[in-house]
Amino acid sequence: MEKDNIALYPGCSLETSSSHYLKSLRTVFSVLGIPFRIMDGWNCCGATSVKSIDYDLNLQLNHKNLALAEEQGIKELVVPCASCYHRLADAEYTLNKDEKLRTELNGKNDFTYKRQVKVRNILDFFVNVVGLDLISKNVKKPLSGLTVACYYGCLNTRVPPEQSFDTGEYPMTMDMIVKALGANVIDWSYKTDCCGASLFITVNSIAEKLVGKILKDAGLRRVDCVTVSCPMCQTNLDTKQKTIRSKNSIERPLPVPFITQLMGLAFGCNPKDLGLNKNFVPLKSILSSCSVVKNEDE
Amino acid sequence: MMLLFWVLKYKLRCYNDYDILLFMGIIELEKRKILYKETLLCYQCAKCSSGCPLVEEMDMLPHVIIHLASLGLERSVLNSETIWICASCYACAVKCPNDIEIPNIMNRLKQMAADEGFEPKRKDVYKFHKVFTDDILRRGKVHELRIMIEYNLRLGKLFKNAMLAPKMLFKNKLHFIPPKAVKGFRKWVKKTS
Ligand code: SF4
Ligand code: SF4
Repeated sequence: MEKDNIALYPGCSLETSSSHYLKSLRTVFSVLGIPFRIMDGWNCCGATSVKSIDYDLNLQLNHKNLALAEEQGIKELVVPCASCYHRLADAEYTLNKDEKLRTELNGKNDFTYKRQVKVRNILDFFVNVVGLDLISKNVKKPLSGLTVACYYGCLNTRVPPEQSFDTGEYPMTMDMIVKALGANVIDWSYKTDCCGASLFITVNSIAEKLVGKILKDAGLRRVDCVTVSCPMCQTNLDTKQKTIRSKNSIERPLPVPFITQLMGLAFGCNPKDLGLNKNFVPLKSILSSCSVVKNEDE
Repeated sequence: MMLLFWVLKYKLRCYNDYDILLFMGIIELEKRKILYKETLLCYQCAKCSSGCPLVEEMDMLPHVIIHLASLGLERSVLNSETIWICASCYACAVKCPNDIEIPNIMNRLKQMAADEGFEPKRKDVYKFHKVFTDDILRRGKVHELRIMIEYNLRLGKLFKNAMLAPKMLFKNKLHFIPPKAVKGFRKWVKKTS
């Protein structure tokens, strides 16, 4: 792993509504000995909205991001947010494939994209660049006794085959990370079901129904928590969980930690550095059942 | 017209309806080229619709949309709720045996609907996308609180999701102050657009 070439594309939500994701990423990176560098001058990826209104604008926004990353000598652009990842990977794919389009945008955009930067999903990065060995080596408080459902959501894995690092139908990368932390993972058919994304704001009833289905199945399987790597999924599963739980008669609260928060806990980091207080469903209840908190109390 | 269609289809055994319509001059290839090319391979296996998490809410199933688009009849789907309800989850695109990127076509249709002056069937969704896009163009990053407020204002439903914002503000998840603008972003927007 060449550490100098790695930088993070945080995306808008990690700066505001999911600042605990960024915080835990920073903590986990420092444990793993990866320099925490954020790309300079990035702009929003456009999410699902811009491409619904104007696809060309979306491509331009991400062309700018990619070209700018290259200018800064970045080879591995690590993207934690699934939506940003999907947009950037889509731009990378489209621009790599279509030379005419690339030249046209390079001319028009003030920036030149030379196909030197690789867009990496955070899961891809942890498994294929950092390596599971390094992760399991750093585990100080194994999460044994914790049963985890890994929820990938839609956009982490659903990129064109040339870009993908995992299968879209039944991904396993997050499961591998969680296993490396010592927790149990379940086989789960809801791994990649949709949480409704922006329908959570626009047509809330639909999103609540979708989230309800996911949480209900997780509840029936008696998992301790549902871990995610996408800020949108985290917000949707977490924010209104109380209402959704009572509508779907799910008894136990299901905390929704980010994968990096679980990693941080297993690495023995201070919960404060992981932003655990920002999760709506508190993690404490589940952690008391596993070794993490017990060790802390001793 | 119908008789000619019938003769071509059932007497002369032209299988592809699109070709017939093309032959009859009802649709023009040039104009519809992109959608035609992208949807040409669809053989109506309906895997897309069977994997779509939102079919219950749609008024037209995704494979029907693709079929109509491939026939050059996309005008008839511009009025559907489906193109707006689609969450761009790409479940269909992963399942499609012919690698048709269905959500991209849905987006194309959304844009076509807007261009051709169709009233968006789901204004709530359209307005959200619009507010979001406008906000990005303002400073290169989104200001979530502003989007939520502006969206409610434009929709005329002041108390939609009213419980969400205070809850998130309380956890310091929404900020009153917008993020710092990306340097030179406005200039770049002006120049490129
Ligand atoms: S899955 Fe693909 S080929 Fe099958 S109906 Fe849908 S778009 Fe057509
Ligand atoms: S992308 Fe749209 S049409 Fe395709 S499965 Fe998702 S919601 Fe359905």
